[in-house]
Amino acid sequence: MNLTQQLINGLVLGHAYALVAIGWTLLLGVARLVNFGHGQMYMLGAFVTWWAVVKAGVPYALALPIAMAIGALFGLLMQRVMLKATFEQNLVSIMIMTLGFGYVLQGGAALVFGSTGQILDTALSRSEIKLGELWLTQQDLAIVLVAIAVFVGLKWLLDGTRIGRLVRMVAEDPKLAQLAGVNVRRVYYGVFAFEGAAVAFAAGMVAPRTPILTSMGFEEVIMTFVVVVLGGIGSVTGSYVAGVALGLFTALFGALVSPAYTTAACFLVLIAVLVLRPGGLGAGSTAGVH
Amino acid sequence: MQRRWLKRLALPLFGLLVFAAPTLLGGSGAVYSAAVLIAIFAVMAYGLDVIVSDLGEVSLAHPVFFAVGSYTTAWLSTRAGLGSWATLAATIVVALLFAAAIGLVTLRLREFVFSLVTYAVGVVAITVASNWAFLGGSDGIRGIPLLDLSVGGLQLSARNDRELWPYAFALLAVTVYLIDRFRRSLLGAAAIMVHLNPRLATMAGTDPARVRLQVFLFSAPISAAAGWLYAYQRAYVSADVLENYFLILMLTAVVLIGRRQLLGPLIATAMVLVQEKFFSLGGNVDKIVLGAVLIVILGFFPQGLMGLLQPLRRLLQRGR
Amino acid sequence: MSGALLQVRDLQVDYAGNRAVDVRMLSVSRGEMVGVVGANGAGKSTLVNALIGWSRGDPVVRGEVELSGQRITAWSAHQRVRAGLALVPEGRLVFGRMTVEDNLSTAFAPKASAGQRVYSRDDIFELFPRLLERRQHLGSQLSGGERQMLGIGRALMMGPQLLLLDEPSIGLAPMLVSQVLQTLRKLAASGLAILLVEQNVRAALEVVDRLVLLERGRVVLEGPAAQMGSDPRIAQAYLGAHA
Repeated sequence: MNLTQQLINGLVLGHAYALVAIGWTLLLGVARLVNFGHGQMYMLGAFVTWWAVVKAGVPYALALPIAMAIGALFGLLMQRVMLKATFEQNLVSIMIMTLGFGYVLQGGAALVFGSTGQILDTALSRSEIKLGELWLTQQDLAIVLVAIAVFVGLKWLLDGTRIGRLVRMVAEDPKLAQLAGVNVRRVYYGVFAFEGAAVAFAAGMVAPRTPILTSMGFEEVIMTFVVVVLGGIGSVTGSYVAGVALGLFTALFGALVSPAYTTAACFLVLIAVLVLRPGGLGAGSTAGVH
Repeated sequence: MQRRWLKRLALPLFGLLVFAAPTLLGGSGAVYSAAVLIAIFAVMAYGLDVIVSDLGEVSLAHPVFFAVGSYTTAWLSTRAGLGSWATLAATIVVALLFAAAIGLVTLRLREFVFSLVTYAVGVVAITVASNWAFLGGSDGIRGIPLLDLSVGGLQLSARNDRELWPYAFALLAVTVYLIDRFRRSLLGAAAIMVHLNPRLATMAGTDPARVRLQVFLFSAPISAAAGWLYAYQRAYVSADVLENYFLILMLTAVVLIGRRQLLGPLIATAMVLVQEKFFSLGGNVDKIVLGAVLIVILGFFPQGLMGLLQPLRRLLQRGR
Repeated sequence: MSGALLQVRDLQVDYAGNRAVDVRMLSVSRGEMVGVVGANGAGKSTLVNALIGWSRGDPVVRGEVELSGQRITAWSAHQRVRAGLALVPEGRLVFGRMTVEDNLSTAFAPKASAGQRVYSRDDIFELFPRLLERRQHLGSQLSGGERQMLGIGRALMMGPQLLLLDEPSIGLAPMLVSQVLQTLRKLAASGLAILLVEQNVRAALEVVDRLVLLERGRVVLEGPAAQMGSDPRIAQAYLGAHA
């Protein structure tokens, strides 16, 4: 096993994890909402991109925005249905409803796209970059660059713009934000639309790496969960670092121990952290986004 | 006085009706099969009901307890030749061990972290069940013997769904009885208090974390016992016993009729399974329907179908 | 009657069948400072919540609330804020994780209406020099008095016609309470209408024009501050113990 090659794999994987988790970071940090439909929305994004590129002949660069638009619309729909529960902070209802949405997507996608696995090939994923004995595809490189760009962009948005300030207000205290004239409902819609678009975008970027199935998505939720929790809920930088770290861990664990149990291993790492240092996850801690 | 007697008799009478139902509905193999499954899945749902309705939290691990019951039973009956009573006892013990592990890890964490951890346990369980040769890998464990609860000279075995029905019904009846007793017990009252006002509960001397753990430990063997019977019913167990269908079914069963309704999970499970078995629109459309029902109930009728009856009931009462 | 900035008519707020507030008439005019006092549980906070449009716990609200002749009863909180109603709430005054400067920012551009002043961030710093000194500090690093000032400053930046305050004196040393109330008096003098909900009746009487006594959600007494100060009911219940 070539260690450097595994490190490269790990870096690519890590940036992929971080990118998939970015929507959740905002959703959880700003609106304190848990979206269990995240995995299925990822699956939907992957399949819409695939269908657009392979079946409808749309160029990849156009397929991505299409997938994002559909993802955003679905996010808006979800938030519309869950609006009352969101304002009441009825987390039990919200969690179960998002599970329901995920299940509907599962059935719907199987109906529309069939149950066989598909491969999403793009020009980038087919073209390899060789550095001596090491290699990665252009798609892999794109994932890394795009992920960095998205994270930097989001951080700048949150810290340096007026909209970012409003979002941070809502994240910290929605009632007080209302008193500042913020339309909190619109912010919640926006955040859910962002989650939909972001996860679809991530799917479009990352899906070319492996075959896609309408039954997929569960492992993505676990990895996202681990990334967000390890990085600190609501922390944009934290999610990035945790994602990359987790990617490296997964690549090494997969190569050294077992490729089938990498998700289980990551989950155990999380459990270890939760048991030893509950930190910001103990009962009564507040959220916020930064 | 008369009303109280009527109420006391109502439940046992209803029980008799349920027991006779498959015969009354034609007595065919399909009807008995559906009845047995309804009973099994309802018991599975009752385990979750206690957590969601009484404790007010979302445990996504109960499908794992169900699977634990199935796998324990399958493994011990085929590899170790143990009888049905022994596998039931083992099921309960293993379920308690799993519940204790999960419960202790999530003891002082926030509710949504608890839900996420239980969700993750489910996903990891699928990976393990599909890959571990010990559990049969992707083939699962086959050749589970027939259910045989014979004791002394009394022959108590089941060769098919029709013969399995009395045992399934018995399991269901025992479960409903246990849930009822739980709700009338001190632990049940403590659970409600912790659910509605944790701070008040603490001031009343109850440790919310301990109550959560105890309720969790109480609920796990129930879902596991359903898995125990399921193993005998299907005669084989594989990783598909962890499909999220079971989770969605359980959740729907808990919320469809209304929270904390004693017969709610049973009636809801019956409704869903009847649709599936006798009015199916195809597997995928059924999924969409089930998911949609869950969303619509929670989004627009949070009190469940009972909530729809409230205004009706008020109308009737006013008319009296 | 007409010309009143805030006009409340037959306001009834029910929580689970219990009537928490039942106010037939309440009005505040431009430049007027009205104090609402009463014991704990008298319905003061419920009244404030109903006025700002916060519906915590699904209350049933009936009646009319008018701001400058406009019916705002069905409006959501942020809409009322944009229409000229600002609240300095009790307890949650500032965004702890944001700097003083960031706290003093608006989500919209308030319009100057009918001679009403729109306060800029610099205006607030002029009014409360203490905040200028602490401008880069986080909200959570401020003292109680500074938070109260920041809370008021934040509300003023909304360019309100009517400023609602829910128990600003809580947790403040008497000297600070006096300072804050005097600042409010000055603001009222410049034309701002103020509705002050207070537990500290003595302090309120020193600055308000009119006093309203609330008991079990109903207005039981109302009148100019000077008269109310010597009214036996007030003196007995609220000033006697502190005499």
